[in-house]
Parts: sequence; structure tokens; C-alpha cells
Amino acid sequence: MNVLAPFLEVRPEGFYSSAFDAALDPPEAAARAIVSHGHSDHAAAGHGEVWGTPETIAVYRRRHPDWTGRARELRYGERVEAAGVSLELHPAGHVLGSAQLFFEGETGSLLFTGDFKRRVSRTTVPATAPRADVLVTETTFGLPVFRFPPREELEARLVAACRRAFDEGKTPVLLGWGFGRSQEVALALAEAGIPTVLHGSAWKLTPEFEAAGHAFPLSRAYEAGPAKPGEALVVPPNCARTPVVRKLKARLIVYLSGWAMREASRADYDADVLIPMSDHADFPELLQHVADVAPKRVVTHHGYARDFARILVSRGVDAEPLLSPSEQAAEPDGEEEG
Amino acid sequence: MTAYRALAETLDAVAKDRGKLAKIARLAEALAPLEGEELTVAARLLSGNPFAEWEQAVTSVGWSTVARATSEVTGWDLETIGACATAIGDLGEAVGLLLSDEPREPMTILEVDARLRDLSRERKAAGKQAAVAAMLRRASPVEGKYLLKTLSGGLRIGADVTTVEEAVARAFGAGREEVARAHRDSGDIGETATAAREGRLDEIRFRPFHPIGFMLATPIEQAEEVAAELPDFAVEDKYDGIRAHAHKAEGRVALYSRTLDDVTAQFPEVAEALGRIPGSFLLDGEILAWRDGRPVSFFRLQRRLGRKAPSRELLEEIPVAFVAYDCLAREGNTLFESPWTDRRAALDSIAASGDLLVSPVFRAETPADLDRLFDEARERGNEGLMCKRVDSPYQAGKRGRAWRKYKKALATLDVVVTAVQQGNGKRAGMLSDYTFAVRDGDRFVNIGKAYSGLTDEEIRRMGSEFQKLTVAKYGPVRAVEPRVVIEVSFDSIQRSARHKSGFALRFPRIVRLRPDKNPEEADTLETVAGIYERIAAR
Repeated sequence: MNVLAPFLEVRPEGFYSSAFDAALDPPEAAARAIVSHGHSDHAAAGHGEVWGTPETIAVYRRRHPDWTGRARELRYGERVEAAGVSLELHPAGHVLGSAQLFFEGETGSLLFTGDFKRRVSRTTVPATAPRADVLVTETTFGLPVFRFPPREELEARLVAACRRAFDEGKTPVLLGWGFGRSQEVALALAEAGIPTVLHGSAWKLTPEFEAAGHAFPLSRAYEAGPAKPGEALVVPPNCARTPVVRKLKARLIVYLSGWAMREASRADYDADVLIPMSDHADFPELLQHVADVAPKRVVTHHGYARDFARILVSRGVDAEPLLSPSEQAAEPDGEEEG
Repeated sequence: MTAYRALAETLDAVAKDRGKLAKIARLAEALAPLEGEELTVAARLLSGNPFAEWEQAVTSVGWSTVARATSEVTGWDLETIGACATAIGDLGEAVGLLLSDEPREPMTILEVDARLRDLSRERKAAGKQAAVAAMLRRASPVEGKYLLKTLSGGLRIGADVTTVEEAVARAFGAGREEVARAHRDSGDIGETATAAREGRLDEIRFRPFHPIGFMLATPIEQAEEVAAELPDFAVEDKYDGIRAHAHKAEGRVALYSRTLDDVTAQFPEVAEALGRIPGSFLLDGEILAWRDGRPVSFFRLQRRLGRKAPSRELLEEIPVAFVAYDCLAREGNTLFESPWTDRRAALDSIAASGDLLVSPVFRAETPADLDRLFDEARERGNEGLMCKRVDSPYQAGKRGRAWRKYKKALATLDVVVTAVQQGNGKRAGMLSDYTFAVRDGDRFVNIGKAYSGLTDEEIRRMGSEFQKLTVAKYGPVRAVEPRVVIEVSFDSIQRSARHKSGFALRFPRIVRLRPDKNPEEADTLETVAGIYERIAAR
């Protein structure tokens, strides 16, 4: 795709920067990877060299304790240059340490959003919107049905669901991914005085959040024992049908994800309560980001790339989707971290 | 004046309620304060069918009409609306999310009823679209969601007709059985609810030409499963035709299909033959392609389906006959509560007085007897066996264990088509590959994909049908509304991570179309799991 030159090219395994000789969020081990954030589908194991924010690198090390590669920490706003191209990381507002990649050269500029959101959340630095000639944006929720209520409202619903569970003598089971969602949930509930028991995947990352100034006085590890009355259990969604959850006789399952906009997720996760709490931009935020970055050209990828590009074109924005081969054949499956 | 919004919010809350008891309680709470016309309409709307079953009324609003109306109201293009429906998994839900929540002049339930009736009388697509758009302009998100679910014929709130019957019983302190009987005989949950409130359920009587639900059978895989019950079972051949109820009164005959549609005009020779039999009656039986005193392939009968007025040539080429196997009313008296033995006696007396084909009845002492009868039934061109408890009443509209169907292991499943794809080679350009699903509660989960075993003509006919049902396109694949039921045969069932159902059929083949079945009648994931466990145990 020429519009990405000279900053990025598309290789079978994903986006690649030839100036820095680095792959962006490669799905498999690469000689040099620029990692936008620490979610496992963006931060594969075994890279020779990882470039990312200090927080992302700390999370990467925690998740891959045997990793022996080299790390290059890039703070938000710090500029690196190679082959006439500069790169700056900007906050993406997705999870702790998440970054957008801003490339600039003589011929213009390009902003690669990675996963992002514009709403302010508890553990993220709010996303910025630097002006760029080309915007490469994720479109996980690029359809107008995806409009998430404000965080305050969603947190109030979460607290209410937990209190309802306690009143009914049940354990609240909160389904959220281990990095990001779980800690946000623990912090919100701590504010309401509700203690949380965190699944290992979430608990092991709390030191990284503590380093960033977040305390978890009311949280403990699931390994230390199952949830007691008055405690909420926080586990990844894929635990919904495993013994961890199943052995709780009296439980109230809350599914926390942008995909909770679908009533069908009630059946998918055996959930009693659906709360569309997401770390991704919703549809209005995606439009807002395009307006603020004010690019000449938009390239959409991931999720509803085709639909969002069509909607932009109908509004007079020059946009086109970039689809992976599997996306060209099938629908988004909604199984990822939402 | 009850606002439709209150009703829609009740439905939304019922969808979220866990367990049947909670759902019944909430429905009962919504019904209890209502009376008169409002109660009649509310009970129907809460059951998902805005009309009485006997009215034979349908809104017949297709997906594209709804999508166009939504586009008119929300300003989103059709492609975006289709993508939203696929992303959310339900058009009504998606439209609810696209509607804005600005204040509107509220709609009462009586107004919604009147508008839905106007819609059912409107013949032109443009008129239907305008009528749907007019409703959506007045609808808040939750109202839009349930209006569209009502139009598409599936509320998907985890409440079936029994749930609503139980809610009526609870709301007005009536007996559950009493309510179910009145609903069956009136063919109207609305009239039933009003009668229950006014304490006059016992005044409701069966009326001829108000179609009645069919009693359904639970499948068995092996004769041994019913070994202990064999002394109580009458055994009949299981016919491979179109199930129908035949009503006759005052010289008029009407035939109703499993979907409670009036199919009399499609089978004029059957109506004529039944008209010659004296008296009035309601019979349960099967319409079969018939030649030389025996049934012929369902494939031939299929050509008679959906033809409102068959040509003389077709009538001669594929004659059909009605084989009766149950009698539910005779000279104004209903026999639903009577044991099978008595109903069969009534049937035999009708057959003795006129020219009526009735199913032969057999008895089996042992599983080996049953297997022998099974083979003989197959030789007679029939599908398998029906076992009917001789002491059982006729449970209209219910699937129970009083009737069992014996089709042999891994015979076929009734599944719903969820996606279609263009074929290759000879069938390039035709929508010949079907992905299909079984029911899992309120949703459909895919279980396999097959290349069509249908004729080119059928594929073309279904192709245009699927174009109308298309909700989204992904390259060559079209996701379609789960409306079309097909019967598939297969060699085995395997565990599969590829399908949401967790299972995959091995070597599935499309046996035939089942236009006589609703998606709600498709086989369930539970059935599939049961078959799988039996295979795994062998």
C-alpha cells in the first residue's frame, strides 16, 4: 500500500518499518519489534529486540520472565530517527503504557494508532491526537451500534451488580482480561469499598501498576484461596465455563467488554449482567480521532475496517480498508480482547 | 392507557431474568393490572405473536423492508445496517442501538396493535416500509428493538408459549392446565388471558377452522430405549409427508400445516375426498405423495409444496392422499383429553362410515419386534416408526414422551441455514453451499456446512429466497437470517473447535428442504450432544 510509504509497508505478518528495520506488534518472534502495548496478541514472546514505553517493556518482561532479548525504552514524546524518518510514541489510552506511533519525514507524517481509546480511564494516559497526513487506525468497534456509555455510569453499574450479588448471597464473578480491565475493575471497586480476588494473570501485573502510582489495598491473589463472602472474583472471560467459576454454586457473572453490547454474549459467557466497558475506541471516538488528526488519507484495519472506511468515504474522507487475508474471507469473530 | 414502552421494558427484563420462574413472575406482574382489550393485546404481544393464532394473520415484513425503513429513520445506509445486524447478532437489537433516545410522543399498546394489523393488511412493499418507518419514528430504542423482534417472529427472551400460559395462570389465579386448554381451544393467548381474568376459562370451546398446535414426538435412537414401555405403546409407521390437521364442519374442509397455515388450496383432492366423509371432525394425519396404494418419495411431494393452485397436470403427475392417525374432535365434541385408545376408536368409526385412509396399528412385545416393524415400515416406503402411549391425551403444541419417533441412529437432523456461499465448477455462480445450525436456547449455533444435494432448480429457487434473507456479505459468503429449515443426514458427529456448537457433522448431506417447519422446530444442540454421547459410548 503506497500511501503508507515511506513509513510503513505491509508484509504477510503485518506492518513493518524499513527505516527502523522493525516489525510492528509482530504475531511471532522477530529480530526487532516495536510493541504498541503489552496485550498478548500484540506482544509475542521471543523478540530479539523490543522497542516500547518503559511500562510496556516492564509488562513484557513480567509476562516473559525468561526473555533474553534487548529492550529499548522510548518515553512518550521521545524522538528517535533513522534513514530520514523520525518516530515518536504518543499515549494511546488503551492500557498502561500503550502507545500510538507517530512517524515523520520530509514527505509528511503518519499516525499509527495501535489499539486506542479517547475516553479517560483510571490507569492510562489520555490519548493525544497529533495532526498527521496519514492515519492508520484500528476499527475494532467501527460500526454505529457501538456507543459506550460514560465510564462513571459503567462503574456505577459494576458496583451495583456486586452489591446485588452480595445481597443475594452470591459471589460476583467479573469477567475481564488480565491486563488492563482487571486492574481498572479492582481500582473502581476499591473506591466503593469492595475487595477483589484477582486471577493470576491479573495479579502478577499489579507491581507494574503500583510502579505507575496505583495501589491495590483491597485486592489479593486467587492463588491465596477462593473468594469469600463479600469479595468479588475477577477472572479472564475464557474462565467463564471452567471449574474456577463453575464450582461457585451461588454466583453472579458480569461480562465486561465492548462485546457486551451484544445480547448474545449473555449466552456466550453464561453472564447475568452485561457491562460494555472497553479499552477500545467506540464509534463516535473513532470519528472524533479522524476529525482531530485531520489526515489527508485514512487506512482502517482490524474489526470493522471495511465498514468504517465506507462510512468515512460517504462523509468525504479519503479512506480505505487494509484487510488481512482471513478478514477478506470472514467476519470478525469477536473473540479478542475487547 | 398502557404504553408500549412499558411492555418492551418488561420483555427486555424477562430476557435478562435467569430461570423460568423469574420470567413467569415478571410476565405475570405485567399482565395482572391489565384488563379488556389492553389485556388481550398485551398477552399476545408478550407471547411474540401480535395476532391470535386462528387469525392466520402475518405482518410479512421481510428483512430488506425492515432494513430500508431503518435506513429511512436513522439515516444509515443499508450496508451499514446489515453490518450492524451481523455484528450484534440480531436486527432488532441492532436497530434499537441505532435509534436515538430523544423524547417522542409515546405509543400505546392499542396503537401498536392497530399499526401491526394495518401492516398485515398492507400488500405493497413500499407501503409496508412506510408503515414500519412510521412506527420506528415513534419508537425509543427499547421499543424499536422489540417491535422489530415481533416483526421478525422471534422475541428470543427465553420464554416459550408455556411460560406465557403459566404467567396468565399466575396473574389471575387460574389453573395452569386450564389456561393451556383454553389457549389450545381458542387459538388465542389474548382471549385466554381475558377469560382467565374474568373467571370464564371454562366457556372457551374449540371452534372448527381455528388451527390447533400439533402434538410432537421425542426421538429414540434404539428400540431398547423403550423396551420397558412397549406394552403401553401402539406402534404406527412414521410417514414421510406433510403433517396436517383436517377440519370439517358444516360441509366445509380446511387443512392446516405444522406452521398453522391454511394449505387447503394446495391439496384440492384431499379436501374433496374429506368432504365426502359424513359428519364433522378434526383429524391429525399426514399428506403423502401416493400411487398404487402406497406412499412415494417425499422428493415428489416436494414439488406440490408452495403451489397455491396446482395445475391439472401436476395434480395428475403427483397425486396425494391424506392418511389419518388421530381424531381430536367428532361431532362438536373434543377428544384432546381422551386417551389415545378412545381417539383411535373415534377415528376407526369415521373410517368405517366413509372413504378414509388410516394408519395401520401394530403392537411390539420386544425391542426385536420393534426393529422388525421398523424394517417393514421402511419397506413400505415410510421413514420409521411412531410409538404412542395408548393412555395418553393429545398434548397440542407440545413435544412430550407420550409419543416417540424411531428413525434409527444418525438418520437426519432438521437444521437452519445461517450462511450460503457460491459453489464451484458446475454450480459456480449459484448459492449452493449452505452453512447450517441447530438451536441452543434462543440462538442458533453452527454445526456444519454442506454442498447442496438439491436439484439445480431448487437451488435457484432457494438462491433468490436467500438473497432476500441476506443480512451481510463477506466476499462470496452471505450471512442469512436463520429462517430456512433443511433436513441433513450425516455419517457421524465429531467434537469441533471450529463451530460454536462444539460439534461438527461428518459428511453431512442435504436430504431435502423443510418448508413445513419453522426455525423454532429445528433440532437442538442437546439432541446433537445426546447423539454424540451415544456414538462415543459404542
